[in-house]
Amino acid sequence: MKRKLAVALTAVLTLAACGSSASNDAAPATEAAVATDAPAATDAPAATDAPAATDAPVETDPPTGADGVLRVPGDFGAIQEAVDAAAPGDLVLVSPGTYNEAVNVVTDEITIRGTDRAGVVLDGEFELDNGIRVLGAKGVVVENLTTQNYTSNGVFFTSAIGYRASYITAIRNGDYGIYAFDSINGQIDNSYASGSPDAGFYIGQCFPCDSIIDNVISEHNGLGYSGTNAGGNLVIINSTFRYNRAGIVPNSGSYELCYPERDTTIVSNIVHSNNQADTPAIDVAILAMGNGILAPGGIDNTITKNLVFDHDKTGIGLVPFLEEGANDDLPTPDEWDVGCAEQREEPPADEFPDTLLWEAQNNRVTLNDVSDSRVADIAVEGVGMATEELGNCWGGNIFGTSAPQDLENLAPCEGEGSGDWTLGVLNVLTWLADVETAPPSVDYREAVIPDPPELPNMPDAETAPVDPAINIIVDVDLDAMVVPDKPA
Amino acid sequence: MKRFRSAALVATLLVLAACGSSAQSNVTRDPDPERRGPQGRLAQFVVQCDLSHVAFDDPLVLPWQPGKSHLHLFFGNNSVDSNPGYGDRLLNANTSCEQRRDTASYWAPALLDPTGRAIEPTSMTAYYRPGQGVDHEEIVAYPEGLMLIGGDSASQQSQSTNIVAWSCGTGAVREDAPLQCGASSTLRMIVTFPDCWDGERLTGFGSSAHARYSSVEANGCPDSHPVVLPQLTIGIDYPPVDPTDLSLSSGGVETAHADFWNVWDQTKLEGEVANCLNRNLVCGVSS
Repeated sequence: MKRKLAVALTAVLTLAACGSSASNDAAPATEAAVATDAPAATDAPAATDAPAATDAPVETDPPTGADGVLRVPGDFGAIQEAVDAAAPGDLVLVSPGTYNEAVNVVTDEITIRGTDRAGVVLDGEFELDNGIRVLGAKGVVVENLTTQNYTSNGVFFTSAIGYRASYITAIRNGDYGIYAFDSINGQIDNSYASGSPDAGFYIGQCFPCDSIIDNVISEHNGLGYSGTNAGGNLVIINSTFRYNRAGIVPNSGSYELCYPERDTTIVSNIVHSNNQADTPAIDVAILAMGNGILAPGGIDNTITKNLVFDHDKTGIGLVPFLEEGANDDLPTPDEWDVGCAEQREEPPADEFPDTLLWEAQNNRVTLNDVSDSRVADIAVEGVGMATEELGNCWGGNIFGTSAPQDLENLAPCEGEGSGDWTLGVLNVLTWLADVETAPPSVDYREAVIPDPPELPNMPDAETAPVDPAINIIVDVDLDAMVVPDKPA
Repeated sequence: MKRFRSAALVATLLVLAACGSSAQSNVTRDPDPERRGPQGRLAQFVVQCDLSHVAFDDPLVLPWQPGKSHLHLFFGNNSVDSNPGYGDRLLNANTSCEQRRDTASYWAPALLDPTGRAIEPTSMTAYYRPGQGVDHEEIVAYPEGLMLIGGDSASQQSQSTNIVAWSCGTGAVREDAPLQCGASSTLRMIVTFPDCWDGERLTGFGSSAHARYSSVEANGCPDSHPVVLPQLTIGIDYPPVDPTDLSLSSGGVETAHADFWNVWDQTKLEGEVANCLNRNLVCGVSS
């Protein structure tokens, strides 16, 4: 999500001005940055030579061992040294220990694996930025280790085509636990994230993403999941989001590319008790607090067969996202399926409003089991558009309350809707005022978070062959999925 | 208000063009739409910093003259004062940045309310990106100890919004004076620094003679300043205060400027340039 907001009720009042347009008046640059009236440079220290261009890490050694396994600390003293020496297809196999490293990966198709998930610990000690950062390399796999106490992210993929993070434990990292940005064809599975102010898990700026999050646990974060401007065969499945400020929160915004957020499939997850007041939290997490699955400005999402319970606001809420300080115009419906690569080539509009209001549209909410929500189990509201014009639908959900009332009859996914949209409305704008009294963020370095539960190791970590992430196929049979059982 | 200001700027520019301002030779620069759009299109690495300290010091413009400067807000390195000496005193200092290896110093005049009281900034974000028309593979890290100025502290009229500008948060609108921003946004002062270096002088002692801006026309950096550096843009965020009658500790809002001193952990800086800018990747966003 990564968005700083200090929302006050006055924001509600300024909403009326959303239609006003301001030109992006870039004046031609003809003026100079001239010298100030400073003492003349008489003895300015002279630099020697321009520094040579520093290249990205290069392979300095051939892989050690004919089997393509580079052992740390056996063959190399540091994970980075082994990674720099690795060739595509190699395995960097890390033995238990604490590694105070921020590892950069630029080589395709290497695997970094711990032999023991809880015992192989990359620790940033609140000084280093990312535990493992994959920089445009394809098919890289990170598995079976712990990354903790980094100022930015536990594991970070940027511009990766093909990636996988499996059996990762990411704790107390300053932005995200596992963060995939501008990356496609990825898989995050069997992993755990806690104690981050933004999201435990994030996939953003991709369309189509062709990626999956499967069987993860996200707790005690600002957001369980965030996915700004992601979608397109993007599946979140079989996972648990609990004890965060808010659970699963994909959103749209023009502050990053590939808007809007659309076509994310959220299926067979357990989402509960996301009202946690003592977590670190970015401002948006405070604003979204008390919601299970919330799609601020989300479009064409499928939310089905999830078990959702115990939320102070909504179990599943479709709400607008107010973006002050826009970077482009709102995409029109015929632009919703423009791919990320194509949008990247198009300059922003010449003129657009100061403020954008992203409405949640055309989402399908079906066959979920939603209960114990203090405002409404299922809910929707438009602010710039009439709620009934948004094109969202509901069907087959088990629920107690809705806002507006009788939502499944107002907007069924099958057949014509009927009823009164004005009864029991959500009043989402009051949430902006709630921020004023919401519990503030707790510094991620100091937040008290519980130890993770017993988390399994990947099978046969010492001996399992590598499986580079070059062929991630996301193909989920929604019909075969079921609502999960309530946890004990 | 906004339209009025824009019209005034255009008029000013027309007058300047007619007069053939000699200062023009210092800078060639295009409007820069890539930086006005969403993040994620252009390679960058990003650092966010809290306010470190405030002082009437300026190691670049008024070295060894403690207390003689206008009031400055210092971000990043905690130990910078009027002493321009580069060394362990600074390299071993603490930083107010989230990126702990960024021990560089960034400073700017304080924003003053109509009564002359300094308004406390909420944070500062530094974006390091390729400049205009440059080959991203040619970008090298700042040499150790390099000092740069963006903007003109002596300006008596609006400066180019490509160099100093005001916006609401990370929004694309650029104004030449503070503007009213929404309650959930910030008032941001933006300064972009030169990114071409003469390869010799680490400071201009208050001038920018050793540095220039890249441009599309020049295919990057001019022959006089051939060393391609990252282009640093900083945004200093303030609460969305009433923009009427604000000023800076250096004078009117037209005197907006900022200073940068490379006291980064040099190895880390070189790594970020190589990994993010030379590889043309987005190594983080801040919005």
